[in-house]
This record gives sequence, C-alpha cells and structure tokens, in this order.
Amino acid sequence: MLEFLSYGFMQRAFLASLLIALVCSTIGVFAVLRGITFIGAGTAHAAFAGVCFAFLAGIPPFPMAVTFGLSTVWVTNYVQEKGKMNPDVPIGVFYTFTMALAILFIGLMEGYRPEVFAYLFGSILSVSPSDLVIILILSVGILLIMLLFFKEFHFISFDQEMAEASGIPAKRLNFLLLNLISLAVVIALKAVGAILVFALLVIPAAAAQQWAKNMRSMMIYSALIGVGASWTGVLFSYWFDVPSGATIVLIAAAIFLFSVLFSGKRRGSIRIKGY
Amino acid sequence: MTTHPIIQFSHASFSYNGRVALEDLTLDLHEGEFVGVIGPNGSGKTTLLKALLGLIHPVSGALQIFDCACQALRCEHRARIGYLPQKEKVDPNYPITNLEVVMMGRYGALGLMKRPGKKDREIVLDALDAVDMADRKDRPFGHLSGGEQQRVLIARALAQRPEILLLDEPTTGIDAPTQSRLVELIQKVHKDYHLTIVLVTHDINMISGIAETILLLKTKLHALGPPAEILTKQVLSPVYGEEVIVAKRNQQPYIIIHDEHHHA
Repeated sequence: MLEFLSYGFMQRAFLASLLIALVCSTIGVFAVLRGITFIGAGTAHAAFAGVCFAFLAGIPPFPMAVTFGLSTVWVTNYVQEKGKMNPDVPIGVFYTFTMALAILFIGLMEGYRPEVFAYLFGSILSVSPSDLVIILILSVGILLIMLLFFKEFHFISFDQEMAEASGIPAKRLNFLLLNLISLAVVIALKAVGAILVFALLVIPAAAAQQWAKNMRSMMIYSALIGVGASWTGVLFSYWFDVPSGATIVLIAAAIFLFSVLFSGKRRGSIRIKGY
Repeated sequence: MTTHPIIQFSHASFSYNGRVALEDLTLDLHEGEFVGVIGPNGSGKTTLLKALLGLIHPVSGALQIFDCACQALRCEHRARIGYLPQKEKVDPNYPITNLEVVMMGRYGALGLMKRPGKKDREIVLDALDAVDMADRKDRPFGHLSGGEQQRVLIARALAQRPEILLLDEPTTGIDAPTQSRLVELIQKVHKDYHLTIVLVTHDINMISGIAETILLLKTKLHALGPPAEILTKQVLSPVYGEEVIVAKRNQQPYIIIHDEHHHA
C-alpha cells in the first residue's frame, strides 16, 4: 500500500508539497486579509516569463524566475507609494506584459520544450533533488521571517495606517511582506505551475477564514488545508496518473466550497481585490 | 491645566494630495488640554491629525511634539500618541478578537520582533475594563456594533499608554444614545488618564460641551479659544457662511448650520 514512499521522486514530491503548501497557505493568510492576493498572480506570470527567458538563453531558470517575480513587486510598490495609480493597474500591465514576453520567448525557442510547460502547468512528481534544496532553504527562510514579524504583519493586515501611526515601520514591513509573497509563489512555480499557484495562496486561507475566530487559528487551519490538499493531490496524481497541480487546486477548491456552505459564518466578505 | 506646551506649530504649512491643506499654522497645545477641532469639509482637519501622527511633514515652518521636531518623529514618539481613526466598515469575517485588537496598541511600544508579555496583557485588560468591554474580550471584533467597536478602538489607543489621544470623528455614524455614552467615555479617559486630547468633529454642539479649547480651521487657523468665545455668529459666519444660527438651549449656545454635513 505504501510502497510508493520508497521511490525517491515520491519522497521529494511529499516533502516539496509539504514545504510549498506550508509557506503559501500561511503567507496567503496575510495576502487574503490584507486584500493583496493579486500580487501572487502577477508574480507567477512574471516568474514564468523569467523561466522562459532562462531556457531560451540557456541559463539556470530559478534565478531568472526570482528576478522577474520580485521586479513585479518592486514596480507595484513604487507606483503604489507614489500614489499615482491603483496597484491593480501596474499589476494588470505587468501580468499581461510578462505573459506576452513568455509567449514570445517560447516562440523563439527551437522545437518543443516540455520542461517549459512543466512550469506553466506544474509537475510536482518531477521535483529534482537540487530543486528540493532550493525549496527547503527558501521555505525555512520565509517561515522564519514570518514568525519573527508575525505581530507586525498581523497589524498591517488589519490596518496599515493605524500600525504606522502607532510606531510600526509599516511601509517597510509591507514591502517585506510583498517580497515574501512573491518568493513563496516563485518556489511553488515548478510544483504547482504558474497558472495555478495563485490558488494555493488564496484558497486555503479563504477556506480557513470561514472557520477561524482569530489569527492564530486561521494560520493553523490554512496550513492544515493547504498541506492536506497538497498531499491528497500528490497521491491522486500518482494513483490515477492525473496532473498534480490541477488535482491539488481542485481538492482545495472543494474544501473551500464545503467551508463556505457549512461553517455557518456570514458570507461574501472575503477581500480579494482585483480578481 | 498646566502651561507646558506639548504640541507647538510655528508657521507650519502642510500639503496633502498635492495641494496646500493647512497654511501658516502657529499655535501651542498644552499638556492635559482637551481641544476640539472644527471646520467645514476640506478645511484641513484630517491633515492636522496626520501631521500630529507624523504621517505628513511640514513643507515650511515647524511642528514640535513632545521635545521632538516632526521631521524626526520616530517610532518611539509615535507610540506615545494614541489614535482613533475615522470609523470604517470592518469585514465581519476578519478573524480577530477584541483582546487582539487592543493588544495591537502595545505593538509600537514593544518594538519589532518582541512578543507581548504578562504586563502587556494586564495593560490590555485594564484598557478593556476602562471602556466596559472586558466581558467581551474574546468575542470577534467584526461582530460588534459600531459604538462597541469604537470603544474597543479607544481601548486600543489607551493600551499604548499615550500622552496624547487623537480622535477623528468618533461619533459619526453612531446612534444618539450610543453617541452620548461615547462622549462620556472620552471625558472619563481624559480625566483618568491625564491625556491631552485633540478631537476632530463636524458636531459643533457635541464638542462645545466637552472641549476646553476650540480650534476653528479653514485651511488657516481661523480662531482658537474657549467654546464661549468661538461659538458666536461673528466668529463662525466667516467660515461657515451667513446662514449660521446661534440659538440657546439650556442656557448653552446651540449652533445650526445650513449644510448637509452640519445638522446640529
């Protein structure tokens, strides 16, 4: 029954999905409560363009994914700070601009490159040992920073202006939070895919919000839902030979639907701006 | 009231959203003083609060709060100023208890990366007790009525152990009986906590009964003094227009302004 655990690729898939789900579903809590989930979608598509560029240029994909992903955050933050535009606008421009770049890069490649499409649709069963090391280091780093600044991130998610007024360096911490969200998306890119990674950020947190009474419980429920959906998705993917990213997201969406219908909370107030 | 100035504006001008919102402001506010700030829409009331919070800086002139010039109003100074922002609709599903909301008042004083301890919890429980919300400390904040949320947010400001308390339209959007209880609470915390209070409001009749000093703004400082001196047709008319009526109710001046925002 458990013979699949003896395969190296399955062990890596379980460990990678545990780390990715933990990071995305917990940082997703801040993104959902703060109403900035759109940054996840923008980052994912920009990072995908970075990956395509790397394959075209014959350089390692991960550093380019990080560069493209983080640049989305920096530009958005700059525009928002200057107060010139609603942040939805630069994200919308970046989102489509980077996707157009990705399509252009794919068009310029010679022949069919299946590894590029793994980044678009996700392939958790193909996580390599070196991928896993990167995922491990960055996940631990992100979780550690979140733990250190938990109360500050909580405060700016609740009310950034009030946080700043009471002596928290809110703008800088908000920028840090945006960068962490962006990094979380980038490390999940190969496993879940650029199209679906946004779901891992939003759905577990949104489902958890239906049950949670306070921040701590929302974090715990979100992590449990995220990891539960990911592991079940990996198993289904292995047993029934179906795409892993899609399976994970469909299971998470089913949990969300169940939560909305049966948690007994008032509905319709989840703040997802821009989408 | 002591005579020590805790807030000093000297020829300070502020711009907000690219236009001059307050011009050439010179005034002293003293420790323990209860100041009501009035003025029509766009007269610079909110800009004044943002300046006091250190969120915007003077484009010319100077603002000194405590012994620190505004440009250098650092986090530790901000933590000494409590703030009740204008009431906004809170997502009823936001997962936060009243105790957690009030605990946020301690975060500025605690500093980055430090966790609240036993002493912070005691301060928070005291603050909840002061606003009569201690029995509902574990209830979700989003489920409270507007007036109850204001009480919890006042407790949050008190938990900062502030020296100055800034209140932005605290009674707007709240029914009349709750308004009067809230006003009583503000008077009580002013006295019990020896606070300097700056309260911005549209409600001239409410503020005239509780503030020691009224500050009348219309981009510039138009008048500053005790309510009896400010609430006269001569002082109010140049700011609010000729349709100001100063009536008497229970021996007190009662102001009626023909403006949709100034129904008294």
